[in-house]
Amino acid sequence: MNKSATQSGRTKAGGITIIRYRGVVKRYGDFQALSGIDLDVHAGEVVCLIGPSGSGKSTLLRCTNGLESIEGGDIEFEGTALPRDERELRAVRTRMGMVFQSFELFPHLTALANVAEGPRTVLRKHAAEANRRASAMLAKVGLADKAPNYPSALSGGQQQRVAIARALAMEPDVMLFDEPTSALDPETIGEVLNVMKQLADEGMTMVVVTHEMTFARRVGDWIAVFDAGRIVEQGPPEQIFDAPTTERTRDFLSHLGWTG
Amino acid sequence: MDFDFSVITDHLSFLGSGIAITLLLSVLSGTTSLIAGFFVALFRLYGPRWLKPLVVLYIDSMRAIPVLVVLVWTFFALPIIAGVTMSPFMAALIGLTVHLAAYAAEIVRAGVESVRPGQSRAALALGMSRAQIVRRIVMPQALVRMLPAFGSLLSITIKDTAIASVIAVLELMRQSETLAGQSFQPIEVFSFAMLVYFLMLFPVTRGVDMFYRRVAHLGRS
Ligand SMILES: Nc1ncnc2c1ncn2[C@@H]1O[C@H](COP(=O)(O)OP(=O)(O)OP(=O)(O)O)[C@@H](O)[C@H]1O
Ligand SMILES: [Mg+2]
Repeated sequence: MNKSATQSGRTKAGGITIIRYRGVVKRYGDFQALSGIDLDVHAGEVVCLIGPSGSGKSTLLRCTNGLESIEGGDIEFEGTALPRDERELRAVRTRMGMVFQSFELFPHLTALANVAEGPRTVLRKHAAEANRRASAMLAKVGLADKAPNYPSALSGGQQQRVAIARALAMEPDVMLFDEPTSALDPETIGEVLNVMKQLADEGMTMVVVTHEMTFARRVGDWIAVFDAGRIVEQGPPEQIFDAPTTERTRDFLSHLGWTG
Repeated sequence: MDFDFSVITDHLSFLGSGIAITLLLSVLSGTTSLIAGFFVALFRLYGPRWLKPLVVLYIDSMRAIPVLVVLVWTFFALPIIAGVTMSPFMAALIGLTVHLAAYAAEIVRAGVESVRPGQSRAALALGMSRAQIVRRIVMPQALVRMLPAFGSLLSITIKDTAIASVIAVLELMRQSETLAGQSFQPIEVFSFAMLVYFLMLFPVTRGVDMFYRRVAHLGRS
């Protein structure tokens, strides 16, 4: 694919490139989980990664913040290749927020302490400053009143919103979401998607792995369709959902019952 | 058959000193084996590669050798090898600690390994270092999860102190044997000893269980 073909219909493509993937290869032993991923994420964009189970979406997210190392290609974050050194990698991670399918709140800490943990331990803020920031972030996700609660006393949707607040408290430049609503009851999915929509509206750069096609269609600026470790098609949502150019994309969407 | 429990009341201070020694030995060996076990587990989990086979050998051998043999060896053989003299109490403390620390280490290791990897991943994603993650995220949860097993280990510790009677530590069992022999009233004396052990252990196991039920959610990720 040439440059103009991959970028047409991309309204925010003029901005700075926050993440640039070039020929990214990831192997687990003999198994190749990613076979040459090319993708750009620009400032303020919401890039949605969709595709069947096992196609490598989570793997790409984990490579993005160095939770997994790559065997080939490059990942650049804000113009610099991801460092290999553990200490430098930690500095990069503080600028990327990550939200997991299974929330992964720390069960021994209150909601407030969960959100304050990063600023306190990693950014070395004073307790008062860390708590102030944490309170503000909990308020932002609509959970100011849940500050003293432990995760065990929160619903799934509330836990995921606290997890989003925990990532935001680091004031990241980009947010990585790995199927943030897949473990939720249908009635609480909306509250999490609303928070994500609000973030997108505020101009947060986001990479979102999701099976919520309605969200990807409405909030996504750019959609990448994964299959077997490759991006089989990428483009603006109108193209992917209304006029997919590959058989793979059509198969995947019809499999989900997507009718447009 | 007539029972005469005056043998107990007449020798309360004699038996009481045995109870005191049992409690002291329990508390001391319980504490030292916990601390030692903690470090052994840290070595096994995070230590240098060359150290791990040694740690595993230690743990496996302690699980294979009866605590009675360890105590007797510590009291009769160790002083000769090391060229030191050792009181029976000291030998019992060392022997029990060496034995129980292996079990404590396995409890700590199982606790740490039971914390889901997603927790470490979330902490890594925040930018935390490995050491910070162990200290602030994994260990606190693991400690909560270890509580029931530590409760059992503590009761095993109290019970195992009775074995120290064979190397002449003047704890409850030893004092009871002496008194039973002198008074020819083994039924009364040994029944009393059983009752005392039960009264020491019951609140410990119950207390740990109740405490665990209150804090279990703090370790549930
Ligand atoms: N640690 C690992 N070791 C070995 N194989 C792995 C590992 N992690 C992922 N894989 C494999 O890599 C492939 C891609 O996995 P990945 O989790 O990225 O898929 P995914 O697109 O996120 O799927 P899903 O929608 O189910 O989350 C899968 O076949 C998976 O089995
Ligand atoms: Mg996944």
